[in-house]
Amino acid sequence: MSRVPLRKRFRVQTLLLVLLCGWLLMLHLTILLNHGLDGLTTGVGDTLLARNSETASANAVTSVVVSYRGFDTLGEVTVLFLAATGVGLLFAGGLTPSPVPRDRDSHPNEVMVTGTRLLFPTLLMLGVYVVLHGHLSPGGGFQGGVIVATAFFLRMIADPAFTLDHARVDFYESLSGSGFVLFGMLGLVLVSTASFLGNFIPHPVEAMGQLVSAGVIPLIYLLVGIKVGAEVGAIFQDMLEPDPAPDHALAAREL
Amino acid sequence: MLEFLDSPRVLHGIYLLGSLMLFFIGLYGLLAKRHLLKIFVSIEIMELAVYLILIALATSPGETAPILSDGLLTFTGMADPIPQALTLTAIVIGVAVTALGTSMAIQYHRLTGHVGVDAMTELKD
Amino acid sequence: MTLHFTPVWFIAVPLLLAFLSPLWVRLRLLMPILLGAHVALFALALSWIPTVRVAPLLETIVIAPPLGIHLHLDAVSLLLVALFNLAGALVASFIWLSNRESHPFNAAQDRLFDSAQDRLRGRPAFILILLLIAGSSGMVLTGDLFNLYVFLEIAGVSAYALTALRRDKSALEAGLKYLIIGSVAAIFFLFAIVLLYLQTGQLNMAALARDFAGIPAPMQALIGLLMLIGLGIKAELFPFNFWVPDIYRGSDPEITALFSGVLVKAFLFVLFHLVFLLLADPTVARTWLMALGATTMLVAEAVALRQQDLRRMLAYSSLGQVGLITLALGFASEATTAGALFHMVNHTLIKLLLFLLTALMLRRFLSVRLANLQGLGRAMPLAAGLFVLGALAVLGLPPLSGFASKLWILKGFAEARVFWPIALILLAALLEAGYYFRWIKVFYAPEPPVTAGQPEGDWAYAPLLLIAGLLILLGVAPFLLEDWFVQAAKALLGRGAILESVLGVQP
Repeated sequence: MSRVPLRKRFRVQTLLLVLLCGWLLMLHLTILLNHGLDGLTTGVGDTLLARNSETASANAVTSVVVSYRGFDTLGEVTVLFLAATGVGLLFAGGLTPSPVPRDRDSHPNEVMVTGTRLLFPTLLMLGVYVVLHGHLSPGGGFQGGVIVATAFFLRMIADPAFTLDHARVDFYESLSGSGFVLFGMLGLVLVSTASFLGNFIPHPVEAMGQLVSAGVIPLIYLLVGIKVGAEVGAIFQDMLEPDPAPDHALAAREL
Repeated sequence: MLEFLDSPRVLHGIYLLGSLMLFFIGLYGLLAKRHLLKIFVSIEIMELAVYLILIALATSPGETAPILSDGLLTFTGMADPIPQALTLTAIVIGVAVTALGTSMAIQYHRLTGHVGVDAMTELKD
Repeated sequence: MTLHFTPVWFIAVPLLLAFLSPLWVRLRLLMPILLGAHVALFALALSWIPTVRVAPLLETIVIAPPLGIHLHLDAVSLLLVALFNLAGALVASFIWLSNRESHPFNAAQDRLFDSAQDRLRGRPAFILILLLIAGSSGMVLTGDLFNLYVFLEIAGVSAYALTALRRDKSALEAGLKYLIIGSVAAIFFLFAIVLLYLQTGQLNMAALARDFAGIPAPMQALIGLLMLIGLGIKAELFPFNFWVPDIYRGSDPEITALFSGVLVKAFLFVLFHLVFLLLADPTVARTWLMALGATTMLVAEAVALRQQDLRRMLAYSSLGQVGLITLALGFASEATTAGALFHMVNHTLIKLLLFLLTALMLRRFLSVRLANLQGLGRAMPLAAGLFVLGALAVLGLPPLSGFASKLWILKGFAEARVFWPIALILLAALLEAGYYFRWIKVFYAPEPPVTAGQPEGDWAYAPLLLIAGLLILLGVAPFLLEDWFVQAAKALLGRGAILESVLGVQP
C-alpha cells in the first residue's frame, strides 16, 4: 500500500475532480429536468417564422441569419477576420523554424496529385452552389465558404506546385468585408428602409423559391461566402507554412 | 413499444442528459488535463454541448426544418429558426477562437518546446 | 437619400476601416486613420449629449425590438462609448508620437522580434486596437443578449491576439492563458443565454427583463450563477481574477492600458446593466456583488504591496479600483452609482497615464522591476513627475479627480447611513498609499540611474500631459460633468424607463 504514494496522490486528485464534475452534473440535471423540459412555448422565433414572407426567402434560417439578425452575422464575420489577423500575426515573418523541419522534397504521389486536381473544380462548384442557394436550401455563406476553402486546402497540401497568393486573398477578404458593411450602410441611408442592413432591393413574395429572390439576402450571403472562404483559406495557409516575407511585417517596417 | 420516446418530455430529457454529460466531461478535461491541445479539445466539447442543448430543447418532435421545399407552402409546424441561426453564429465564433488558440500553442511549442500549462511560469514574480 | 448619424456608426465605421486596412497600408495612412477614427467617434458621441438628455435613442436594425436587434443609446452608454473612444484616441496618439527608431537592444536580439513601436504600428495591431474599442462600444450599446455575446467575442478575440502581439515567450504564455480563461468565461455566458432563451423565448434584454420573473426560482439561480461566473471572470472580480496580473505583465503596456481602461469597464457595465435590468428586486444579487467588490478591493490592494514588477503592481492596483467600483455600483443608490461612474472615467484616465508611462520606462530601462528603476527621477524627470501625479489621483488627493469621485462615493454611503464600506475604502486607500509611495521612493532614490535604452522624444509626452490636464480639470471642477453623471446613474438604475422605451409598456 505504502509503495505507491505518488500514484495514489494523483488518483485522489482525479477522483475529486470526477466527483466535483459529477456533482455539478447532477445539480444541473435536477434543475433542468424539473424546469426545462417543456421546450419553447412561445417566443420571438414563432413570430419571425410567421412574418418570414416579408423577406421572401424560402429558408427561414437564412432570413434570420442574414436579415433579422444580420448584425450578429456581421459581428461573427468580424470575429473570424480578427482570428485570421491574429493567426497571420503569429506566423508572420517565420518567427522560429519548426523543431521538426518539414521535408520539402517528399512529394505526394501521382495518384494523389491528379486526384486532387480532378476533385478541385467539383469541390469549388459545390461550394459556390451552396453559397448561391443559401436562401433556398440548407446551406449558405458560411458552409459554402468553408467548402471553397477546403478545396484550396486540398490543393495546398497535396499539390506541390500550388500556392495561394497572399495579396489576392487579402484583397478578396477586404473587398467582401467592406462590401458587407457598405450594404448595411446603404440600407441605412436609403429612405425606403432607413435601417442598417435593411433589405432595400425589391423582393416580392411571389418570387419566393426562385434563385433571384429575397432582395439583398443572396448578395450579402455571397459576400459572406467570399469572406469566409478567404479567411479560412488564409488561416490554413498561415498554419501550413510560415510565409518567409509576409506583407504585414514588411508594411510595418516601411511606415 | 418505444412510443413513449416520442413524447417531447422524454425525448428532451434524453437529449438533456446526453448534452449535459458532454458538458461536464469537457469541464473535467479542462480541469484535469495539462496539455494545451487537450485543453482546447475540452473547451470545444463544452461549447458543442451548449449548442446541442439549445438545438435539441428548442425543437419538438415532428417539427420540420424551417425551409419551404418539397411542396410545403406555409411556415407552419416548423422548428424555431432562431436557435439554428444562433448556433450557426456561435459555431463560427468557436472555430475562430480555437484557430487562434491553436496557433498560439504551436508558436509556444516552437519557442519553448513545451506543450503543457505546467511549464508556464514565466510571468510569476 | 439622407445621411443619418445613428449609434450604428460607432460599430460600422471601425469595422469598415478595419476591413479596408490593406488600402491604408498601401497609402501609409494606418496611424492617422486609427487616431482620426477615434477622435471623430468621440466628437460624434459628444454631439449627442443634448439629444440623449431628453430621451434615450433607440436604433432599430431591420426589425423592431423585441423581435430583432436594436442599439440603445442612453446617458450611461453614451458616457462609456465616449470614454472608450477617448481612450482609443489617446493610446493611438501615444503610439503614433513615440520614437520610431528601434533599440540597439532589439537589433542585437533576434531580428524577428521587432521593436515595440514597429509592432504597434503594423496592420494587425491597427485592426485589433480598432476592433477592441468597437467591440467594447458594441457591448455597451446593444440591447440584445446574443448580440452582446458576439460583441464580447469581438472584444475578446482582439484582446487575446493583442496580448500575444510581441510573440515572445512571455507574451505567448499570457495570450494562451487569456484565451483559455476567456473562452471558458464566454461558454458559461453563452450557457446562461441558452437557458434564458429556452425558458422565455426572448433574446431582447428588455423583453427578458419583463419575463424573467416568470422563470422558476432554481432556474433563475442557475442562470444568475452562470452569468456571474462568465462575466465575473471577464470583469476581473475576486475569486475569478487570479489570471489578471499574468496577462498584464506579459503584454505590451500600451495594450494593457486598453485592457484596464476600456475592456474591464465594458464588462463591469454589462454585469451591472444585466443585474439591474433583469432583476426586479436585486437586493440579494447586490449584497453578493458588494461582498465580491469589497473582497476584490482588499485582497488586490494587500497583494499589491509586495509586487516587484511595476506592471504586476499596476494590475493589482487596477483590480483594487475595479473592486471599489463594484462595491459602489452594487450599493445602487443614485449618489454612489454616479460616483462609481465618475470613478470609472477617472480610473480609465489614470491607468492610461500610468501604463503609458510604464511603456516609456520600459523602453528606457528595459525592465520595470523595482530594483532596476532606481534613480528614475533623474533620468526621466517628467515621467516620474507624471507618475507621482497619477499615483496621487489614484489615492484620491485633492485637487485631483480621484478625490472628487471617491468623495461622491463616500458621501453616497454616508447619506444612506451605511458605514462599513467607508471604512473599507479608506483602509484600501491607506494600502494604496503604502505601495505607491514605495515605488515613488525608489524613483527618487539618490542613486545613479542605469539606463540601457534610448531616451524618448518629447512628443510622446503630449497625450500624457493631456491626460494629466484632464485629471486636474476634473478634480478642480467636477461640477462640469456632474449633471451628466447623475443622468447616467439614473439611466443605469432606471429599469422602468428602459422597459418603457423599448417595449412601450409600464412595468
